[in-house]
Amino acid sequence: MNNAKGFTVSAPPHIRSEEEVSTGMRDVLIALVPLVAVSIGFFRLYAVVNLAAAVLTAVVCELVMRKIMGGKATIGDCSAIVTGVLLALLLPPVVPAWYVVIGVVIAVAIVKELMGGLGCNLFNPALFGFVSLLMLSRVWQPIVYNLGSINGVTTATPLTYIKAGALNGIRPGYWDLFFGNAGGALGEVSVIAILVGAAYLMYKGQITWHIPLSILGSVVVLSAILGANPLYMILAGGLMLGSFFMATDWVTSPDSKYVQVIYGILIGVCVVLIRLYAAPTGAVAYSILIGNAFVPLLNGLIIRKKFGESKAVA
Amino acid sequence: MELKTFTGGIHPDYRKEATAYKATEEIALPEEVVIQMRQHVGAPNEPTVSAGDRVEAGTTIGSTEAFVSAPVHASVSGEVTEISEQISFSGALVNSVTIKVDPDQPDKWTGKKNLEGITPEQIREIAKESGLVGLGGAAFPTHIKLSPPADKPIDIVIINGCECEPFLTCDHRVMLENTEDLIEGLKLMMKAVGAGKGIIGIEANKMDVVEAVESKTASESGVEVMPLEVKYPQGNEKMLIDALTGRRVPPGKLPSEVGVLVQNSGTAVALYKAASTGRPVIDRIITVSGSGIREPKNVRVRIGTRIEHVIEQCGGFVNNPEKVIMGGPMTGFAQKSLSAPTVKGTSGIVVLTGKETGESEERECVGCGKCVDACPMFLMPNSIVKYIKRNQYEKADKYGVKDCFECGCCSYVCPARIHHVGYVRIAKAELAAKK
Ligand code: SF4
Ligand code: SF4
Repeated sequence: MNNAKGFTVSAPPHIRSEEEVSTGMRDVLIALVPLVAVSIGFFRLYAVVNLAAAVLTAVVCELVMRKIMGGKATIGDCSAIVTGVLLALLLPPVVPAWYVVIGVVIAVAIVKELMGGLGCNLFNPALFGFVSLLMLSRVWQPIVYNLGSINGVTTATPLTYIKAGALNGIRPGYWDLFFGNAGGALGEVSVIAILVGAAYLMYKGQITWHIPLSILGSVVVLSAILGANPLYMILAGGLMLGSFFMATDWVTSPDSKYVQVIYGILIGVCVVLIRLYAAPTGAVAYSILIGNAFVPLLNGLIIRKKFGESKAVA
Repeated sequence: MELKTFTGGIHPDYRKEATAYKATEEIALPEEVVIQMRQHVGAPNEPTVSAGDRVEAGTTIGSTEAFVSAPVHASVSGEVTEISEQISFSGALVNSVTIKVDPDQPDKWTGKKNLEGITPEQIREIAKESGLVGLGGAAFPTHIKLSPPADKPIDIVIINGCECEPFLTCDHRVMLENTEDLIEGLKLMMKAVGAGKGIIGIEANKMDVVEAVESKTASESGVEVMPLEVKYPQGNEKMLIDALTGRRVPPGKLPSEVGVLVQNSGTAVALYKAASTGRPVIDRIITVSGSGIREPKNVRVRIGTRIEHVIEQCGGFVNNPEKVIMGGPMTGFAQKSLSAPTVKGTSGIVVLTGKETGESEERECVGCGKCVDACPMFLMPNSIVKYIKRNQYEKADKYGVKDCFECGCCSYVCPARIHHVGYVRIAKAELAAKK
């Protein structure tokens, strides 16, 4: 009755949850559906072209890099697609597709794959790609529009109003920001679409409230202290998208809840300071990347208290 | 009703329906049994019989002078044919006595003794003489647990009726089919350590047992049953004590540190049986389950019966099994062959198909933090593995690798399919070797 091939022997546990890396990435993609839908509804062909260019480039980049680097094919985990979609959402609709392509190449090929693939990267690939484009755009300014001053297909981005401290009637209203009429980047069109997606991710257990709420909370508090409009601060620009979909990135965020809150506050503070005292464009992206850079340090500084430890030293 | 529990842990698919509601069955005796001289935590026994000897069921056939030990008994009447090293469930070779089983097996433990005036010393003696060990799998000699250090008085005895491992239902059946013995066993333990309070903790997927115990303890003072949320690893001593009493055992310490003694439910039943009838540990209930088994059920098995015989008695394999596990699927031992004999601590034989194991290649940690949230010891399993992979064992030590009790929650939830427990074992061995 003995099985001819013998039975498999390995360390326990002998059962695993059904969650794999691809499950998590697929959940992120599902959570992005409302936002993608609103942005396509709003920007039409501009959005479709950029999203398609980004996803296609991301997939090709990952396949090619895996071949070159000699690693296992990991395209099935969908993480490259997530990066592509997020980067497209970070950019305004009128940037040309080749521009998107460059950003994705930087994000997937360099930031992720060259570092050894998903899990080895220090920085969020989509954000790094976006910031690289921001910087490059200054070099290319004569040829391409400066991203910071691009006037979407609609109006000026809401963020420019924050810097100007404008409280007159021409800025987009709160309701426009919330439901989708705000202008700016693809992913900035509708806060509610982002919240719906975020609620799904929390329901699925892929993210928790710790990072987004500590970012948003610290932004509200600090902007109130510094005299900026807190509500406008959190609704405008990429803050919502960044807080729920990018600062929460598995790889580049801390893993214990306590450290996550510190990381969130660090990002929130950076966002307010950069927006008010430096350039509003890209403030969220820069802030999250700064947060990313601090993760190894924060992880090393704070070791979780073991079960029963607090009472032991009492 | 509010259900008590601990922080962290996981909710695996329990799959207990296959066996939970079937009464325990007897199986045919095997032709021979292999009694291993080491079935407990502590010093191995020396055989006290030789080849050719006739033994009766219950005869002591292995013992030692060492303090941390428990004697072993012949589980059947028959003839000793061989004393040799035999493979154990963990894969190690263990000195063993093989007995050819007589066709006739008279049961001589029928009369019931009156235990009214029994003393704590006598209870410990009975636990020792009957070879009782923790029957939940840990297999720590019971008489030692019943002798707590004088400076650490015990005020609560907890009976562990969680059975939080998926598939396993043997404790469920034992508690349901021997409810009175369970309560009497608990009272003996309370007497042995001088505790005024006894709690039977049972997970809420066994409400039939909760009700049965409740109806029988209504008039008892000091004994109480508490239902618990269904969550793994609630049956770990530290988690269970926290869930039921709110006391947290400090790292590296024993439950006596917080005045608690925890015993498995099967152990309580066996203690009462030993005290009232003189019957030593010669058999136990084992859950045989998993998609690879034709007739999943709970069976009474003589200690020393080879896995192969038990599986045959449950209809054999179906569905092309991939893994045969001795114990539960979260912490049990995967078997290469089917020749290892059952021991006192064997709670289950679980046969899994390839699909059920969810096994796939380990990839790089993606930093999702799920293992961190799941770890009931509040460790950082991902950081621990990171340092072990770099051979930085001191770093892993700093992150608490020695406090890991290998529950496997981290590996269970890990989307990167990392074998944390495997790495932890390597690190523990390395750290022990360096000392
Ligand atoms: S690190 Fe150890 S104690 Fe923590 S979940 Fe993993 S196996 Fe369990
Ligand atoms: S669960 Fe696995 S992938 Fe997630 S942080 Fe832990 S080790 Fe890394």
